[in-house]
Amino acid sequence: MMVYDKNIYKPLKAKLIEVIEESPLIKTFVLIPEHEFSFKTGQFIELSVDGIGEAPFTPSSSPQITDRLEVTVMKTGYVTEYMHNLKPGAYMGIRGPYGRGYPVESFFGKEVLILGGGCGLAPIRSLLYALEHIKDNLEKVILCYGSKTPSDCIYKPLFARLNSIEKFEAYRTVDKAEEGWNESVGVATKLLDKVKVNIEKSIAVVCGPPVMMKFGTLRILEMGYKDEQIYLSMEKNMSCGLGKCGHCMMGEYFVCKDGPVFTYDELKNTPDIWK
Amino acid sequence: MNHLIIDKEEWDRFLEKLLVSHVVFAAISDEFGQDYELIQHNNIAAITYNKPKPSTPLKSFFLPVLENVTSGGPPGKPRVIIGTPNCDIEGLKLLDEIYLDKDFMDIFYSQRRENTILISSDCFGIQEHCHCLSYNITPYATGTADLAIISLNGKIIIRIISGKGENFVKDIPASSSADTAKLLSSIEKEHLMTETSLKAANKGLPDSVTTGKLVRDAGEEVWKKHSARCVSCGACTTICPTCTCFLLIDKPGFEKVKQMDACQYPGFERVAGGEDALHELHNRFRNRYMCKYAWKSAKFRSTACTGCGRCIEACIGKINKNEIFMELAKS
Repeated sequence: MMVYDKNIYKPLKAKLIEVIEESPLIKTFVLIPEHEFSFKTGQFIELSVDGIGEAPFTPSSSPQITDRLEVTVMKTGYVTEYMHNLKPGAYMGIRGPYGRGYPVESFFGKEVLILGGGCGLAPIRSLLYALEHIKDNLEKVILCYGSKTPSDCIYKPLFARLNSIEKFEAYRTVDKAEEGWNESVGVATKLLDKVKVNIEKSIAVVCGPPVMMKFGTLRILEMGYKDEQIYLSMEKNMSCGLGKCGHCMMGEYFVCKDGPVFTYDELKNTPDIWK
Repeated sequence: MNHLIIDKEEWDRFLEKLLVSHVVFAAISDEFGQDYELIQHNNIAAITYNKPKPSTPLKSFFLPVLENVTSGGPPGKPRVIIGTPNCDIEGLKLLDEIYLDKDFMDIFYSQRRENTILISSDCFGIQEHCHCLSYNITPYATGTADLAIISLNGKIIIRIISGKGENFVKDIPASSSADTAKLLSSIEKEHLMTETSLKAANKGLPDSVTTGKLVRDAGEEVWKKHSARCVSCGACTTICPTCTCFLLIDKPGFEKVKQMDACQYPGFERVAGGEDALHELHNRFRNRYMCKYAWKSAKFRSTACTGCGRCIEACIGKINKNEIFMELAKS
């Protein structure tokens, strides 16, 4: 029966110990997996609610931490609605980690420009933790993040913290300001106008809703970045995470196994990548 | 390649004995066509040889339509499948690449593969929509199966393909009265005649590489026109020996049920929030051909269309993919 321990479909149980409300629609779930669980930043997990369903998420916590895991979830469908109703003490299922994350070792000696939007900040937060860990090997890290309104902006304390870390800069913008907002107003790509980067020695990361991914990538290309300098974190319907179920096929790639992180160079000839 | 020639009565006696230790399925023809049936003492003589092709694709033996993939038990008796045409055998190569992938091996598929002796049947003659040869697949197996079998002039001729197959037939006594050279020559003639029929029946049908280029280049109007008769029933994917897309369904106790799915069903690519790259019928329709002839052929070593023709037979909208490709090739 040992062979069943290798069952790729079987989830690992994880105890929910805390639920953090990040915005009206977004919560972070803090989980303690039954066994040590490690991942590379940018990889994703399949997170399940017992008997209800499973959905893919990139952890938002540091990849250096292996005894607990944080997953930030936007309430947007059937499974996530059940997730949002869970209380600490409940058990969730985890499969993974799956896919190809960010190749952070190849960022050594470079400036990292990150463009994020909405719940795309979740995987970016994990990337930021990973980059903080290797900051001595990096030139600079710049985060440009946009959300719809100030109350939709997640991880509020993160920005002040990032701006206090040597080599890190973080900028925020909102589509629609509210009273008391004294930062930028406008789409996330507008923040790119104010950043100073040495493009030759830089790479760019884009993660967010499809429309932002599209226009953000086009703007970054306009700035002079080459196709292979741009990393995109793609989102698709990923049922198995194992490169088998076929739902996430995008051209000749299985997003779950060959991605979810791709360079623009790898995807530029694939049709319908922004759909 | 080694051959074993035995008397047909000896083969039937071997199968009779085999039923004690093995579960045996074989192709049997009746007035409705040909399909696999569970072999028992009373239907050994009815097994069909040399004839294409069972309605059920071989994948169904390895990937059930519905199965619990978290609490399944160990495999049962070893299994023997007799009468699989080479198109399905070649289709199994793609399934092996996907499900025996060293990164994520599906233990249920792997155990079924290990637990099965696969005996292919050479095709003498063709069916209306057979077109394996157009995609470089011969109507007789030379790999992947364990054995290939031919019934001719009261003899059973077994082509030994794998070590597992060789071991399986090692105790069957060879026929003392067989004219080996004559039988092998007759088989070769049958192969040639079948290949000639395939070529004649599929004149003008582009090969799979050309088809890949044609489907890549075809514009939206082509897919809109040809998908007009598609009702998204998924019959083409269900019957296809290489279509194995599935859905994982959660059950209480963190159990998971794997259920066959189809890219032709609405909502196949829909994500939470509602975005769906394949929402429109013509996009789903195009997706299947891109997957078969352009994407999977770039990603995997094995072919994703074996030319079995089942999707043409199964389509209730009478969509014939070969007619579409011949039309594209002409334009």
